[in-house]
Amino acid sequence: MWKFVTGKLLQYVIVIMLMLTLNFLLPRLMPGNPLVFLAGEDVGFMTSKEKEAILEKHGLNDSIVQQYGTYLKNIFTGDFGFSYQQKRPIIELLKERLPWTMLLTGLGLVLSTIIGVLFGTISAWRRGTKTDANLLTMFMFLSAMPSFWVGMILVSVFSAQLGWLPVFGAESAWSNLKGMDRFIDIVKHLILPLTTLVLISVTSTFMIMRYSMLNVLGEDYIMMAKAKGVKEKVIKYKHAMRNALLPVATVFMLSLGFTLGGATVIETVFAYPGVGRLMFESVLSRDYPLIQATFLIITFSVVIANFLADLIYPILDPKVGKHNG
Amino acid sequence: MSTVLSVENLSTFFKTDKGIAKAVENVSFSVDEGEMLGLIGESGCGKTTVAQSILRLIEYPGKVVAGSVYLNGKNLLKATDSDLTGLRWREISVIPQSAMNALNPVYTVGDQIIEAILLHDNVNKKEAVERTKKLLELVGIDGERWKSYPHEFSGGMKQRVAIAMALACNPKLVISDESTTGLDVLTQAQVISLIKNLQKKMNLSVILISHDLPMVTSICDRIAIMYAGNLVEWASTEEILKNAEHPYSKALLNATPDLSNPEREVTSIPGSVPNLVNIPTCCRFHTRCPYAFDRCRQETPEFKEIKPGHYVACFLEEEQNG
Repeated sequence: MWKFVTGKLLQYVIVIMLMLTLNFLLPRLMPGNPLVFLAGEDVGFMTSKEKEAILEKHGLNDSIVQQYGTYLKNIFTGDFGFSYQQKRPIIELLKERLPWTMLLTGLGLVLSTIIGVLFGTISAWRRGTKTDANLLTMFMFLSAMPSFWVGMILVSVFSAQLGWLPVFGAESAWSNLKGMDRFIDIVKHLILPLTTLVLISVTSTFMIMRYSMLNVLGEDYIMMAKAKGVKEKVIKYKHAMRNALLPVATVFMLSLGFTLGGATVIETVFAYPGVGRLMFESVLSRDYPLIQATFLIITFSVVIANFLADLIYPILDPKVGKHNG
Repeated sequence: MSTVLSVENLSTFFKTDKGIAKAVENVSFSVDEGEMLGLIGESGCGKTTVAQSILRLIEYPGKVVAGSVYLNGKNLLKATDSDLTGLRWREISVIPQSAMNALNPVYTVGDQIIEAILLHDNVNKKEAVERTKKLLELVGIDGERWKSYPHEFSGGMKQRVAIAMALACNPKLVISDESTTGLDVLTQAQVISLIKNLQKKMNLSVILISHDLPMVTSICDRIAIMYAGNLVEWASTEEILKNAEHPYSKALLNATPDLSNPEREVTSIPGSVPNLVNIPTCCRFHTRCPYAFDRCRQETPEFKEIKPGHYVACFLEEEQNG
């Protein structure tokens, strides 16, 4: 087992190093003056001395190897650079945004997986019946709706007309709420974006689970379990669901990697202060260091999620792991 | 000898888009204590449907529409779900078609055998483990391997595990449903002789479903031959070999090479099996029967005893013997 883990770990360290190197090279391979990226349009009004000072400050006069060394050191000490548009260190921005994104997309992923799995199982178990047909229609309908539209409808009904829930943000600004009150405030702000996220993402899990469960129910070992006299509930959950969950687990792990990237559209519609919106803002304002940092976060989390999947999969599926470790 | 299982006029139909497929119609036979019955016929003739009907495993769109199945006097087709739970595996168990897929890939083979034991017998986990080890030893697998997963076994070993599982609760009757499909000839022979030995040792009644006539004739006490959902002939192995009456049985015997008489020509049966959907009343073999006459195309011949213990469904026999 440990040999397997360290082997995998080594693989991922190599992947991360490659990724960091690419991230380092990318802006240096792009055409144009680095000054434009660093100082923006103002560069035209600068004196050569000022330009020199900026290059010196960012170590751009050093050799490429030295620059690479500094870059790695900075990344590993948590220094992702400085956002010129927001006038703040990027690590501060990330620290501010990441928790909200993790709350929204993490919870969204967990909820849509649970709901999808549950209804997918029911649908497959009653294949061909009215329940199955209704569920299938409902989930297809959900997946056909664009997320910004669902978000806007929810806002207009529950916030604008009924006034039950807040329109935007992750919590009330300048309210100084503490403890339980703050928690309730946060939950209230979370409900609409979370609902939107779950509504538009639940269908894929449902479809995968339903299809996978249908396949498993046709397997001989299910009939064997029946012939053995195993109770229906036990067949459903112990024998069928356990096997049918494997593809869902794969998709879950893949999506987990992207949760830190946030849900750009939904965060924008609800003005939710997550990483997705940060990325959107950084692209709009051509804030290159920030774009780089957010992309780096996403790649990091994808790699970490893959590593987790590699660790968890052998536990879920005995066929995986032992032999390719 | 007492009768363990008796199947009377069993009919199982399947609903299809094009109509009713009469997969099994009017099938009657019985199995005595300690007897090995060979149920034989070509692919798609309803052998597995008979087995599943007996085990009450037929599901929509299939349905057992008529008949009765008595296991030690109890009608299985009328048994309630809780009756069935009690009967399954303790009285009747199955070695399934393609044992490769009959074991759940995410649980150890031991867990799957133990599940059956704990479900039916009042023993604790430790005793169940001990019995599982003994069962594995019985079929020639190291008992300590109960902790292995199905994918860690070869095909032949999985088949042995399936046999061990079928015997877990000392059943009276075991249905072996083409359980050697997909194995190489050598392993097939080993598995079959294992089943035969265990059957003698434990005085089991076995229904051996197969399409391998020479194999069945070499180990079974009686043979029932199926064609297109009907039972056409049922007699002792000796009687079938010497005095087969039904044209299909004769054709089947002629279609298999005979090692003791290599000069004899092997002849195939011309034509193909009729479509069972909306099949009209007739002898279902008439389209391929060289002796078919008008009556065969209009009536279904009755399955009746022509000599003690020898049953045939054919008009020819009637014509000849009055």
